[in-house]
Amino acid sequence: MEFNIDDLPVLFPYPRIYPGSYMVDLKKTLDATGNAVLEMPSGTGKTITLLALIVAYQQYYPSHRKLIYCSRTMSEIEKALVELKALMKFRADRLGYEEEFRGLGLTSRKNLCLHPSVKREKSGNVVDARCRSLTAGFVKEKKEKGEDVEVCVYHDNLDLLEPHNLIPNGIWTLDGLLRYGEQHKQCPYFTARRMMQYCNVIIYSYHYLLDPKIAERVSKDLSQDCIIVFDEAHNIDNVCIESLSTDITEDSLRKATRGAQNLENKINEMRESDQQKLQDEYEKLVEGLRGADEGRQEDSFMANPTLPDDLLKEAVPGNIRKAEHFVTFLRRFIEYLKTRMKVRQVISETPPSFLAHLKEYTFIEKKPLRFCAERLTSLVRTLELTNIEDYQPLQEVATFATLVATYEKGFLLILEPYESDTAEVPNPVLHFTCLDAAIAIKPVFDRFSSVIITSGTISPLEMYPKMLDFQTVVQESYAITLARRSFLPIVVTRGSDQAPISTSFQVRNEPSVVRNYGSLLTEFAKITPDGMVVFFPSYLYMESIISMWQGMGILDEVWKYKLILVETPDAQETSLALETYRTACCNGRGAVLLCVARGKVSEGIDFDHQYGRTVLCIGVPFQYTESRILKARLEFLRETYRIRENDFLSFDAMRHAAQCLGRVLRGKDDYGLMVLADRRFQKKRAQLPRWINQALLDTDVNLSTDMAVSSARRFLKTMAQPFLAKDQEGISTWSMEDLRHHQEKMDDERIKELQAQRERELNQPVVARAANAAGGDGRESDYEMDDFDEAELMALDTNI
Amino acid sequence: MSRKAPPGARGAGASTSNGTTSSAPALPTISTEDMCPVCKTIRYLNKDMEFLINPECYHSMCSNCVNRLFNDGPNQCPYAGCNRTLRRKGFRSAFFGDLAVEREVDIRRRVAAVFNQAEDDFETLRDYNNYLQMVEDLTFDLVSGGEAQRRTAEATLGRWEAEHKAEIERNRKAGREADEQSRRRLAAERDAARQRRVEALQEAEEEKRERVRNREAELDNLALGDAGAGAGGAQRVQLKRRGQAAANRAVEAAVHTAVAAAADVGRLSIRGLKEKKKAPAPEGPYDPFAGLDFVPGRYKLHTGLGHPGIDKYKDDPAHITGGYSFDEYTARAMFEAFAGLGVFIEDEMEAGIGLSAGEVATMSAGIAAVGDRMELD
Ligand code: SF4
Ligand SMILES: [Zn+2]
Ligand SMILES: [Zn+2]
Repeated sequence: MEFNIDDLPVLFPYPRIYPGSYMVDLKKTLDATGNAVLEMPSGTGKTITLLALIVAYQQYYPSHRKLIYCSRTMSEIEKALVELKALMKFRADRLGYEEEFRGLGLTSRKNLCLHPSVKREKSGNVVDARCRSLTAGFVKEKKEKGEDVEVCVYHDNLDLLEPHNLIPNGIWTLDGLLRYGEQHKQCPYFTARRMMQYCNVIIYSYHYLLDPKIAERVSKDLSQDCIIVFDEAHNIDNVCIESLSTDITEDSLRKATRGAQNLENKINEMRESDQQKLQDEYEKLVEGLRGADEGRQEDSFMANPTLPDDLLKEAVPGNIRKAEHFVTFLRRFIEYLKTRMKVRQVISETPPSFLAHLKEYTFIEKKPLRFCAERLTSLVRTLELTNIEDYQPLQEVATFATLVATYEKGFLLILEPYESDTAEVPNPVLHFTCLDAAIAIKPVFDRFSSVIITSGTISPLEMYPKMLDFQTVVQESYAITLARRSFLPIVVTRGSDQAPISTSFQVRNEPSVVRNYGSLLTEFAKITPDGMVVFFPSYLYMESIISMWQGMGILDEVWKYKLILVETPDAQETSLALETYRTACCNGRGAVLLCVARGKVSEGIDFDHQYGRTVLCIGVPFQYTESRILKARLEFLRETYRIRENDFLSFDAMRHAAQCLGRVLRGKDDYGLMVLADRRFQKKRAQLPRWINQALLDTDVNLSTDMAVSSARRFLKTMAQPFLAKDQEGISTWSMEDLRHHQEKMDDERIKELQAQRERELNQPVVARAANAAGGDGRESDYEMDDFDEAELMALDTNI
Repeated sequence: MSRKAPPGARGAGASTSNGTTSSAPALPTISTEDMCPVCKTIRYLNKDMEFLINPECYHSMCSNCVNRLFNDGPNQCPYAGCNRTLRRKGFRSAFFGDLAVEREVDIRRRVAAVFNQAEDDFETLRDYNNYLQMVEDLTFDLVSGGEAQRRTAEATLGRWEAEHKAEIERNRKAGREADEQSRRRLAAERDAARQRRVEALQEAEEEKRERVRNREAELDNLALGDAGAGAGGAQRVQLKRRGQAAANRAVEAAVHTAVAAAADVGRLSIRGLKEKKKAPAPEGPYDPFAGLDFVPGRYKLHTGLGHPGIDKYKDDPAHITGGYSFDEYTARAMFEAFAGLGVFIEDEMEAGIGLSAGEVATMSAGIAAVGDRMELD
């Protein structure tokens, strides 16, 4: 259907649309070239709404701002691409011609490689490294010189094509891209990478923008007015933090030492065979030139973390300019780290104190340390190394060096000699952890004018601008309008025996609490049709409670009604469990999936329709607060952003709980029960996303097990009534007609408002004049005139 | 994709890099970590075995051996082929696992003590970088150069030390001071952080207590029959307290910039090293107006000056709002009245106070313009 928002004509590929002002707010944000945080329940067509509006915006206004749409997983990327494809097809049908439009998705080489042997590698890193050794610039040079080196024909073919037209216009899903690549024998990965500049829409994973090591290479050429969308962004702060944190182990240091040794051997080799290359590099460094070709090199061997701009322009310090000097420099640094790892007590220190100690013992200054990553990249390129994966650990150390010397604030080094408090055998890990999510995302906000953060569960909204340190134009959580109550959130606070239930530390292992949780599970297993998902706060607790249930015979009871499946940290096992779960849900046996609120299942897997009719959240999924890294982060948040520990913990727990709840409702014709089973949920209700909170009735926030069960029974009974798509119309979906109605109503309101405003304006000059006369000096009468009312004005007038 | 096998003896690695045969003592590898190469004791038998080295030759041995061999005075190193004479008090435990690095760092310590120029001592960054490379080259010669290279490097080192004695001393002092300062700053920051942590805890504690108290008060109120009276007020108090605590938390870390005492020494042999100037006189606190006095010289301002023209506004709410002061107005009126009195253009031109006639003209034009606008307003 077609409609206008202000002057902007929007083509929407479906005949129905969900009510709400999502599009209007989105447009407002784009008009203001500002940022927004928007929460809209999943399954309400958020993606297509977003795409439809932005594409209309792109095509209608002359600026043609590019859209960069970031999502989390490959399947979400593919889904978005398919939606986009449908949208463009619809537009073409409506407009009667195909628009000049190109949309591409980008994912890792591992998913897009076509090379017969490379693509079979299991690990993404190895694929990357092998591909690089086939496609690097010097490899090609060698080939041209007639040397016998292996190259990738898919990559070579690209050079035969017009560089700005590697692939025709249109929307290319990842699948489509692969197929096209296979047909034309061209590499899909590099096609996508090189075409990014010529695309209207790019859909890829967060990391291409947030991970500074990758962003620098992939997303450098994107222009400033791009529209950035982070979808499913409720976890964005953690992604930011992870992208800047590293863990260093004894093993990685050992490998780094070996890497340094290899480098040295290579340098010696090269000195004998090709002295000139080393000399050239050296001279370039002396001149302070970043290799001019570096920018063009789509595939610089290793990535550097972002550095402040001034640093990028500076020449490399004199004491690491020579290759051999740099290698001893690296070795000294690694040896120092090794020594530090021998300490057998927990140490946490800030980068400045680390640097001071480092300087005292190794005479390594801060400045050369900062250039470490870059210098290493340059050296690796000069040496024309091909087996990059061998140098990965060395590169990690260099990245660490650069980061630790660059950022004084927002990072912490934590050395943990033992894996756990009870462990006897030391296994030291040096965590270099980023505490400030704003650091990684700052370049994004600095560079792009419109950044939109959206998700189904991103409450409380004001937390995100605070944590990520940015300003918003619009910050909105949309309610959901439903023709029937299609999901029932309830909070169970007591067992059938009226004893409160909770997973707080004091009571979580008490048999009465465990038994109450057990009977809750049994009861819901009885009444739930098909699939049921249960979330626990942690693996540890899940294990202990399962074994206790086993002892109490509860599992046997549940077994009568449902198959029981358990998530484990092992991805393979879990996917097998999921497979079985799905089968059992479909064939009528029914199943319970026991999983963890912070695990893989809670994040990425949808339980729509029969796959999830009940989600049971046992306990508030708080983070494990004894973790030193978390403690440090909490402290940082308190000191820097004035976010209090408890506020953050509770926010974090509730966003995970909301994620879990959101798993079962994936569309308007879906229905499901959402059971929050913990005494503490009662108080945290306000922190749930608006659409869940709104559906949570006051009578349902303090139930005991038996009350919950009867309420659930009633709900399921109404859900069993036939429900036609027609019933939804006008309420939870809008047809063209409804939309027009709504718009008319809104217009009426606008007109009224405008009229009111005009009236106010008419009054304005009087006020100003009066004030002027009174003040004798207009500039000083600059107070709030609206505060005056008519009567007072009159009085003023007569005064003069 | 064949990977080079890691070479077994890492100790020798440093010396191969410039291709000359090295006369630096051959260093043992660290695989001996659990066995003393002298007496062959293994750690299994002696849990607290400790290894010591002597920077004469960096051969490591267990403390028992050291005591046994060197307690009765200087003795020869027990390693085969090592003919150095070692003393008991030269032994220490190594910081690094890799003794080659240990030795390198010892050398660096010596070099750094002599070559301690900072970036500020150089005209350009490039000069500084060249200097850094020169030092690095020299260090490299000392660490892994051949006999001849080592000797020349030593000589350079000695010469430099002799020539730049005063400067080195000064830089050393400055460096020590800077270190001391950064250490103090770190300590201060740590203390402040601890302080804040404690405060936050107390605050949370206090809040909890407050909440309990409020709840009790509320209950009491309920019992007395006037519900709701306590709750709102208490909450407000709590919020206020929170804000206050936040304000208190602003802790300042004092940073002193070291004023390096200048000394006029040094025949320079490094390009780009800045000539030293006399230390600037210590400055007083910064005055943005450069000593200009704003107290009017020709008249005295009284507060509460009145005039019938303005008196009627004194009760007018439009003019007694915050930020507007009648004294401001009268002060300005007085200033305008007196401005320009006592300026004798001829005198100033004779005395030649900076301004040219043209400038004076534009200035007065500007003043006139300002005056005009004021009148228009
Ligand atoms: S160029 Fe493309 S096809 Fe060739 S190895 Fe790399 S990713 Fe695979
Ligand atoms: Zn011994
Ligand atoms: Zn010896």
